[in-house]
Amino acid sequence: MNTTTVSQTDFAKSGMFTVATLQKAVAFAVLLLLVVFFSLMSPVFLSWSNAINIMTATSVNAVLGIACTLVIISAGIDLSVGTLMTFCSIIAGVLSINLGLPLWIGIPGALLSGAAVGACSGAIIAYLKIPPFIVTLGFMRALYGLNIVVTSAKPIYFDDQPKYSLISPDSSISALIPGLGIPNAVFVMVLLAIVAAIVLNRTILGRFIYALGSNEEAVRLSGVNVNIWKVGIYALSGMICGIAGLLLSSRLGSAQPAIGMGYELDAIAATVIGGTSLAGGRGTILGTIIGAFIISILSNGLTVLSVADEWKYVATGFILVTAVYVDMRLKYRG
Amino acid sequence: MSSSEKSHGAQSVSGPKLIELRDIEKRFPGVHALRGVNFDLRAGEVHALMGENGAGKSTLMKILTGVYQPDSGEIIVGGKTVTMPNPRAGQDLGISIIHQELYLMNHLTAAQNIFIGREPRKGLGIFVDNQKLNANAAAIFKRMKIDISPEIEVGGLTVALQQLVEIAKALSFNSKVLIMDEPTSALNETEVAHLFAIIKDLKANGVGIVYITHKMDEVKQIADRITVMRDGQYIDTLPQEDTPISKIISLMVGRELAHASRAEGKVGHEQVLKVSGLNAGKMVKDVSFTLKKGEILGFAGLMGAGRTEVARAIFGADKVQSGEIEIHGKKVKVKSPADAVKQGLAYLSEDRKRFGVVTGLSVRDNVTLPSWSRFTTAGFLMKDREMNKTAAEYVEKLKVKTPSVSQIVRLLSGGNQQKVVISKWLLRDCDVLFFDEPTRGIDVGAKAEIYKLLQSLAEQGKAIVVISSELEEVLRLSHRIIVMCEGRITGELDGKTATQESIMHLATQRQSKAA
Amino acid sequence: MKKLIAAAALLGAAMALTATAHADAPYYAIIAKGFDHQFWQAVKKGAEDQAKADGVTITFEGPKTEAEIDKQIDILNADFAKKPVGLGFAALDTKAETKALQQYADAKIPIVAFDSGVANDLPVTTCTTDNVAAAAEAAKQLAKAIGDEGEVADEIHDQTSATGLGRRKGFEEEIAKHPKIKLVDTKFANADAKAADDIKAILTAHPNLKGIFASNEGAANGLAIAKKETGSKVIGIGFDSGKKQKDAIMSGLLAGSITQNPVGIGQCAVSSLTKALKGEKLEKVIDTGFYYYTKDNMSDPKIAAVLYD
Ligand SMILES: Nc1ncnc2c1ncn2[C@@H]1O[C@H](COP(=O)(O)OP(=O)(O)OP(=O)(O)O)[C@@H](O)[C@H]1O
Ligand SMILES: [Mg+2]
Repeated sequence: MNTTTVSQTDFAKSGMFTVATLQKAVAFAVLLLLVVFFSLMSPVFLSWSNAINIMTATSVNAVLGIACTLVIISAGIDLSVGTLMTFCSIIAGVLSINLGLPLWIGIPGALLSGAAVGACSGAIIAYLKIPPFIVTLGFMRALYGLNIVVTSAKPIYFDDQPKYSLISPDSSISALIPGLGIPNAVFVMVLLAIVAAIVLNRTILGRFIYALGSNEEAVRLSGVNVNIWKVGIYALSGMICGIAGLLLSSRLGSAQPAIGMGYELDAIAATVIGGTSLAGGRGTILGTIIGAFIISILSNGLTVLSVADEWKYVATGFILVTAVYVDMRLKYRG
Repeated sequence: MSSSEKSHGAQSVSGPKLIELRDIEKRFPGVHALRGVNFDLRAGEVHALMGENGAGKSTLMKILTGVYQPDSGEIIVGGKTVTMPNPRAGQDLGISIIHQELYLMNHLTAAQNIFIGREPRKGLGIFVDNQKLNANAAAIFKRMKIDISPEIEVGGLTVALQQLVEIAKALSFNSKVLIMDEPTSALNETEVAHLFAIIKDLKANGVGIVYITHKMDEVKQIADRITVMRDGQYIDTLPQEDTPISKIISLMVGRELAHASRAEGKVGHEQVLKVSGLNAGKMVKDVSFTLKKGEILGFAGLMGAGRTEVARAIFGADKVQSGEIEIHGKKVKVKSPADAVKQGLAYLSEDRKRFGVVTGLSVRDNVTLPSWSRFTTAGFLMKDREMNKTAAEYVEKLKVKTPSVSQIVRLLSGGNQQKVVISKWLLRDCDVLFFDEPTRGIDVGAKAEIYKLLQSLAEQGKAIVVISSELEEVLRLSHRIIVMCEGRITGELDGKTATQESIMHLATQRQSKAA
Repeated sequence: MKKLIAAAALLGAAMALTATAHADAPYYAIIAKGFDHQFWQAVKKGAEDQAKADGVTITFEGPKTEAEIDKQIDILNADFAKKPVGLGFAALDTKAETKALQQYADAKIPIVAFDSGVANDLPVTTCTTDNVAAAAEAAKQLAKAIGDEGEVADEIHDQTSATGLGRRKGFEEEIAKHPKIKLVDTKFANADAKAADDIKAILTAHPNLKGIFASNEGAANGLAIAKKETGSKVIGIGFDSGKKQKDAIMSGLLAGSITQNPVGIGQCAVSSLTKALKGEKLEKVIDTGFYYYTKDNMSDPKIAAVLYD
């Protein structure tokens, strides 16, 4: 009887990850297809400088997408990522411009405030048992209002902190390798993606993210303090929104109070296109990065092809629905 | 309704062949689930399909209903070779199934679940005719002699009631072929009796029934023929009448099994758990009992007697209204399962799918789930290697059939999932273990292993509460038996002297009569 | 799956049709603040007409909302890859997009700002309405209509853009010059329904309100809706045009509106680029003008030419 054959195979062999891998492969195929299509259609699309445009355009959405991915795998949702991002950039502005504090206070301050707001929404979701959709919808609006109030509706310009602009646009690597010109924002995105993937796959928090998304009640009945982990997940997501806020405001040289509403939808779209299931329990960071690239390549490529704005939205919507369709097909097969 | 009369025997086997499966092969990644299996079903017979956990019974039936596609082999329905690309095709061919795992929509009512996609319509077919819907469901329930409101949300029902809804759904198709994959795993004896009466009815009307179970007495009661599978292989098909249980078992496991003995072991003097005046929800009324070191305490009672609710309340899973809990002589407040585990309590739920396994995680992660924090470096990095090793030990010990410890639990057979849940509490090493229906869906061989395991745990000084609807199980395992009825404890019996009758007597002592 | 591929192919074909070829004629990139408001559609029309006259091709694009500055930068960058010979640009922020503009300047591509300017001297000129003066005109007209006394309020389309700031400033400064008129409330909304809700709240809070100024198309439509739904007799003056706003003026819901000259703005952007490329000297600011229009002068050819649906 070969009842028990126990080998220490890695993740790649197990079912969940084959589905996820397949899904990523599908997303990646779409990505390649788009690149090939646009390259054939337009000679300028495949230039290095346009590649940099695409990477830059991807970075903020990808970072927000990572924040969303963590929450969505845990079977939650975070609609406040966009305005929370803006809130964090405003905190950076208030601390380092309005209060004149040095950047080494302003930057961690922004990240911490993101984590704190995330922890708040997480706590409300976990302890008061209000659905995350509602809580984060509330936070999305409340933060939007707060952003306007704090800034009196005027952008905060980082002119007095010339180093601030280094976070996003001017590359440190390009200083070493002239002509490369990849903005720091892109490196931040890549680095964060790696860290987030490690968190998801190798740490206890990541394991709980998958576990909660798969069967929260079974986890609770295993004697786990589910609430604390939920707060942790939303706090981490909030801190990542802070990173997005720093990237964006550094790129704009200013904290813009009105920006942010609607960005959550792009982030969630990137997450879903990348194969994360809105029902929770399934998803990967790499998928989300691919999803974010699909969105920005689509937008950049259609602009390069001079396609009218209206049609850009039609195309993006089409891709989103296709991705979810494929996702569901794969799920019911497995 | 008498249910224990002898079955009709083999004469009905002569009915026309409804279904035939030939040389069915099925492989999953890492698992050769079916290796050339043959099976046939005739009109008017009950054909029992037997085999150990993971033998491939459910997989074979999923192939027969279009859930899975065979890699090779032939499916013949009504004399014609067919393909079934999806479950709908199976339904169209007149085959319906009661799945082992419940597939109900929690937020829909019982009636909506039964007729999903086939709702009676009115007003030019635009609106659902709710009256008719509920009336149709009520008619089926009446036929099954059960008391469920068609309008109740199934999410709020106990597993037993959910299983009954699932059965009602399968009956509602009026199919020629009915497959029942462990339909009675959550039912009590009365409900089983009602189900058997219905089965006889169906037989008389020429319906063919495939019946999967691990309960030998059921097979003896209703089966006409028995097909045994082992490790994905077809072993033999035999007439039930001429086949003694011991023969079935030895065909299933490939060896003779020793009969497990009644509880021996010495119960210690140290009182580990004391519950007094516990009230919780509507189902737990003034419950008091004690539990000693090394003791196995059985909780018996009819379905809905409140045994699960007692365990959940003590474990902090549900809100407690009043009452005191002492552990090792110290009064404790258990506000959540997390508190409970910290105090050394463990609770294995009767509802494996909803409250037991995290189906999307691996065997390894499930086995270690309550102990994850023990497997971290610097408090956050998971030590996957070590977890693999530990999980592998338990997989070995409980003979969990899985290609590897990183297999996703959803892909395991039902019985093997149960073993995973048991493993996780064994690993967590709590002092007081509440096992609610621990052998649900577990095959005879493994059952004996689990009994031995529980007994040895008690000998090591653990205190164990076993909640079970199988009286035999309670009698075999328990040093002491507490019987509940309608949320109250109606009596306590000594494990050595208790009988099925004495338990049933207490289990039916309703408050109204007692007062 | 096959159906999906077919649908994708169709979609691709549809997009290819809308894409404009610009291989031969000189190409200008025109980047607006948005594309779905009637105002921008009218600017687009002006730009396209002028492009035809000048023998050039253009693209006309904008982000989804006027808050999405980074998306506008992405468009600036993507268009730069197409090597345009000129750039027309309506900046969402006066400073935040300097770096993206700089690459055009570095490549010696002339930039013309339109609708609102930027806080640097990269553009060769700015085609714009004097928003402060235009809103002051609205205030004067409103003062006249309410008999130069009583309470008034304003609904401004946003809190941060130059047009929002300018129109609020122009209106409120002019009102301050009228001692018997009191400004009691200011709210912000850029979409019909939201503005309508705002204004209904204002009307409830200030029952004696005499007049309201709404600073763009969305705000003015909201004002008309609010008046219709509450039956209020408050006097409303709007800004810009568009079908709904024009209807509201015709039916008397609005007393009148200030219109910029969006078609003229679009023409100015393109023609200024053509002139700059020919080496002509241009004024730093080109005022494209504004008009106050009412039911009575709407069909006046001079007015009708700058109104749009
Ligand atoms: N989708 C799947 N992917 C991978 N392996 C699977 C899948 N479904 C079933 N298996 C494996 O196939 C084997 C047979 O499973 P099956 O569910 O048919 O067993 P069973 O006889 O019904 O057992 P039980 O009595 O425990 O219900 C098991 O080893 C199981 O792990
Ligand atoms: Mg099974």
